[in-house]
Amino acid sequence: MTAITEAEEALEDNAARKRATLRQYLRHPGFMIGAIGIGLLVLVALFAPWIAPHSPTRTDLMNTLAQPSATYWLGTDQFGRCVLSRLIHGAQVSLQVGFYVVLISLSAGTLLGAIAGYAGGFVERALVAIIDIMLAFPSFLLALALVAARGNTLDSIILAVAIAYTPRVAAVMRSVVLTIRPRPFIEASRAIGLSTWKILIRHVIPNALPPVIVVATVSAATAILAEAGLSFLGLGVQPPTPTWGNVIAEGQTAITTNPLISLSAGLCIAFTVIVLNLLGDGLRDTLDPQMRRNTGKLL
Amino acid sequence: MTAMFELWNLTAAVPGEAGAVRLVEDVSLQVQTGETLAIVGESGSGKTVTFTSALGLLPKPGRVIAGQALLEGEDLLRLSLEELRRRRGARIGMVFQDPLTGLNPVFRIGDQIIEVLRAHLPISRAEARERAIALLARVQIPDPARRVDDYPHQFSGGMRQRVLIAMAIALGPRVLIADEPTTALDVTVQAQVLDLLTDLREADGMAMVLITHDLGVVARQADRVAVMYAGRVVETGTVDEVFRAPRHPYTISLFRSIPDMESPAGAKLAPISGAPPDPARRPAGCAFAPRCFAMREDAGCLRERPDLTADQHAVACHRAGLLEVAP
Repeated sequence: MTAITEAEEALEDNAARKRATLRQYLRHPGFMIGAIGIGLLVLVALFAPWIAPHSPTRTDLMNTLAQPSATYWLGTDQFGRCVLSRLIHGAQVSLQVGFYVVLISLSAGTLLGAIAGYAGGFVERALVAIIDIMLAFPSFLLALALVAARGNTLDSIILAVAIAYTPRVAAVMRSVVLTIRPRPFIEASRAIGLSTWKILIRHVIPNALPPVIVVATVSAATAILAEAGLSFLGLGVQPPTPTWGNVIAEGQTAITTNPLISLSAGLCIAFTVIVLNLLGDGLRDTLDPQMRRNTGKLL
Repeated sequence: MTAMFELWNLTAAVPGEAGAVRLVEDVSLQVQTGETLAIVGESGSGKTVTFTSALGLLPKPGRVIAGQALLEGEDLLRLSLEELRRRRGARIGMVFQDPLTGLNPVFRIGDQIIEVLRAHLPISRAEARERAIALLARVQIPDPARRVDDYPHQFSGGMRQRVLIAMAIALGPRVLIADEPTTALDVTVQAQVLDLLTDLREADGMAMVLITHDLGVVARQADRVAVMYAGRVVETGTVDEVFRAPRHPYTISLFRSIPDMESPAGAKLAPISGAPPDPARRPAGCAFAPRCFAMREDAGCLRERPDLTADQHAVACHRAGLLEVAP
């Protein structure tokens, strides 16, 4: 009987703790704006076919470069395609790029950085040299080269950007692991006879994750920017697939008469990058209160 | 009777500018089942290094360059990394100095004990959890069924040290090495933790090594004692022998530097002047000679390193037989 009540109390303690953590997030304005913004974008991307008023690729040649109207809220481009619908569908590409790039670069970077930081010696020097070389190499150029080599499908763009961003995550991960390696619970784990892999995965990586997650959120923003940049240069996802970068590039020809086309796509990119950065700031403040700084913060 | 854990001529070093710097040199120690061997000495005398190197835990670039570390007759230093990993925790456990940071802050106490059990035994999570709760009860954590789901920050320092002890004894090791297990704890908690260690040693028939610099702890908990200075054992014997009649000038000086309840108010303590030698620049003769009250040039103190004598109450001093000093 007592055992049951004790277990229940323990459960309640845990629930209370979770509620307290949740409150901390809810009270952070930047985090909330970021989270709501991302949530909206995800909804738009998921329900794009139902939200978009027109097909993003259907041309209306009677209404090319139309000004905003009740039918075409943001007007049409030079092929008479609905700009708003193209932007709504473009969110799919941008968010996919952001999501997969973070997934790949976070996993690979975490593992590489953790191995480099924990192994020490020759392994560390070799991995750090590789990471440094990749960091020194302009990431946009690397992405360009990979797209040129593999062809410009969405997969290769994601892969290219992910490869470019992996060393950044790895570098942060390694520096955090260096501060964790000398901590006594790592030595204790070794004395207890845990294998190196187990120590790495169970003890080193979970303790090193918070700053890395923050870096990952910000890299999602820069990855989306990189994709838009590649698309703008014609090296991204090929037209007529709508992406924000494509819309900017196509709007360029009519920028003097219909500036709204490029401008609205640019605003979409800016919005996404800002909400991701706000989310990253919020995560940083909540995951790692000691790192909280008041400088250079928007909210 | 053969010893459970024996070190023979263990020498560990780190590479230095002018060749290897020996952190511990020629250390031989034996512990038997049901016995507590205390290792005393000041900071940097090689107490911890001796045992971390015996377990293959010496941080790089340090390494063992000579000697044996026999656990039940099997030399740990000759085992492969994987074989050694399987002995650690299972056959020989170690408790470290700082309980506050000895547990991983992001996992529950119970999960960390379960992890140790499952790293060595083929048991299910549920079974391991039952055993974790039983272990917490054994180290006198109140309400273990509930505290098993707590995080380390919800435990006090003394309780965390108990958890670490629970993890060290989880698999019933034959030897337990406790490296200054109470240094970071309150005085009132220190005695409880030490008594717990002694109780566990008696109940499980372990051999225990207690590393400390507290001579009071030695007197209360240990059967035998080894005094270390500058990486070497300078005196060893039963606690009785060493405390009643210390033979090495360093041991004698140690006792003189402790405050005594009996001494008159205002009496000054007798500190040992100077500092222990830098391991890279140890004097040619006896390492303690520059600080020694009994040093005599004609006895070879400055030229020759004294060897540990072979008797039961052994001492490494050129002048040991000639000293007649009551502590």
